[in-house]
Order: sequence, then structure tokens, then C-alpha cells
Amino acid sequence: MILTGSKIKEEVKKGDITIDPFSLEQINPNSYNYRLGSVLKVFDKFDGTKSIFREIEIPKEGYILEPGKMYLATTKEVIGSSRYAMSLIGRSSMGRYGLFLQCSANLGHTTSKHRWTLEIVAAMPIRLYPEMIIGQVSFWKNYGSIEKYSGRYGFLNHSQESFVPDKQENYDPDRK
Amino acid sequence: MILTGNKIIEEVESSKIEIAPFDKNRITTNSYDLSLGETIIRYKTEIIDPKVETPYEEIKIPSDGMVLNPGDFVLGHSNERIGSDFYVPMIHGKSGTARMGLFVHVTADLIDIGSHGVTTFQLYATLPVRLYPGILIAQVSFWVPFGDIVLYKGKYQNSTGPRPSMTYKDFKYDIFKKD
Repeated sequence: MILTGSKIKEEVKKGDITIDPFSLEQINPNSYNYRLGSVLKVFDKFDGTKSIFREIEIPKEGYILEPGKMYLATTKEVIGSSRYAMSLIGRSSMGRYGLFLQCSANLGHTTSKHRWTLEIVAAMPIRLYPEMIIGQVSFWKNYGSIEKYSGRYGFLNHSQESFVPDKQENYDPDRK
Repeated sequence: MILTGNKIIEEVESSKIEIAPFDKNRITTNSYDLSLGETIIRYKTEIIDPKVETPYEEIKIPSDGMVLNPGDFVLGHSNERIGSDFYVPMIHGKSGTARMGLFVHVTADLIDIGSHGVTTFQLYATLPVRLYPGILIAQVSFWVPFGDIVLYKGKYQNSTGPRPSMTYKDFKYDIFKKD
């Protein structure tokens, strides 16, 4: 079951959902609108093993994304829940501009809590502004007992490049 | 919880789900198939700026189809009006559409409860693809909400065709507001 906006509000009050900062105006009928953080990682080059990004502060007058590149950013808000699973996606207003907010990795694990890394791809050149409302997160009831999240990304507050696989000999398929 | 096809039929019959026109043959195990309408929107600007209204043109897809090339991005729409005040709809591509490398939405599958209208498809091609009006291009599933329901009253309500983004309207009161 997906939580309604009213339920999200209740659970934020109770502390079972974290959205920080939280604003009632950003609640939707069944999701919460999150904002873009102010730091963007711009793809620079591929070194043969991994992608190298350079970090920029998005200026007040905005930054133009180019199609065919991938950018990393974060949500402005720290988002998480001890009780619910999450799905973090874009919003229809940005989808209508062809802006992807993640690359088919929408699922947020129960008990993770952080500023989410966004994997941004633009189908058309588009100007992004710091702290603009850019996507939405929904919350889903669990079925079964909850195991604490033990992955590497779920508590990081900066946009984090992929950890895998840095070197084949370091690759541990059992590591989440 | 996701509704089964049988449950979708029941709820359309009891008016808890709106799908119009509705054809029982388009029910799948867990969804309903949506067909592509004939109107396409293409933005006519070099750089999109969410703060201002973006110029666009409307094109009718000819009966012999319209080709999207890799990297092309246009807006389309469903022929069907869909919505529910009781369940949360979600849009998905059909696997046949996806196998042609075509996205039908751009990370925006979730529809607000209480939103009614034809849905706008965000069509992004990764391979050349020829689109025909009326093809079954997407599907909608319905999910059970948890909590008190407050219905959608947003700016895309009652859409009758593809609707371009209206972020410039948010801008005045909301989108760039500092906390």
C-alpha cells in the first residue's frame, strides 16, 4: 500500500518518516515533492575503469544540462524511514521536459536515511536552478519483518559516484 | 497492494476507477492497456527554462506513422481518460514498447489520487521507432492507498490532450522558494 499525503504528514510528526527540511506545501495526494540540492557533479571523463566527475555549485542564475551526459546531484532534504520503503522518482512537470531524475533505481530501502543521490539525464538542454522542486518520493507499507539496511550508500549525504566495481579483485558480490 | 485485472473491471463498473473508453479486452492480469492518441507536442526552443513558458508546436501523427529518432523527445497522450478517487494509478510502458527502446514516461510514473484526464506520455526514443495513432503503447496499474485521502486539484486536471510542463506557474509561489 502506498501512503497518502495525509499519512506521510502523520508519520513525519511521529518520527517514522524523516523529511528534513519539511514543508506542508510540498505534500502531494500520495507523495512528497523534494528539492534539488545546490551541488552538481558534472561528468568529465572515463578513466578506463570509472567515470570522473567534477563538482560545481549550481549558480543562482541556473546551470544548463546537456543531453547525452549524466549528472549526479542530491536531494536538498534528508529523506528516510524506519518503517516504510520508498520510491524516489521525478515529477510529471519535469518529466514533461524530458528530465530523468534517476536511472531505473527508484527503490529506497527501509531504514536508510540520507540526502539521496540523483542520477540526472536530460533529453533536451534544460536550465536547472538550485533548490528548485524537482522530483517526488512516495512511501510504501512493508509486508514482512524489517532487516536493517546494511548497504554502502544509504547514509551518505553527498552525491556519491558508484563504488562498483572499482577493481575486479576488490569486487565482492555479497557486499550490498 | 496492486489491483488485479478482475478488480480493475469491478471498480470501473462501480465507478471507483475511471477508464473511458473502456474495453474489457484491454485488461491484463494487473493493468489496463492504453493507446496512443494522434496529437504530439514538440518543444520549439533551444534550451528549456522551467521559469518561463516554453514554446511548442502540436503535430498530428499521420495514419502512416511518424518516426522518432534516437534522442528525440516529444509529448504524446492516451486516448483514454483515466483516474480514480480511491486508488493510485501508475503508468508503465508495455514490454513491447520498451523492447523498441521507447520510454513512455521520464521518471514520472506516479499519478495523484483524484487526478482525472487523458495522461501525457513523455516519449523518449533510444532507437528509431515509428509511432502510429491508436497503438497500444502503455499500461496503467492501480494501487491501494494507506491513510486519509485528499484528492488532487492540480494544474493538469481534466487534460484532454498532451499537456506541456507548466512549471512557470509554480514559480510564482513555490518552486524556488527558500525555506
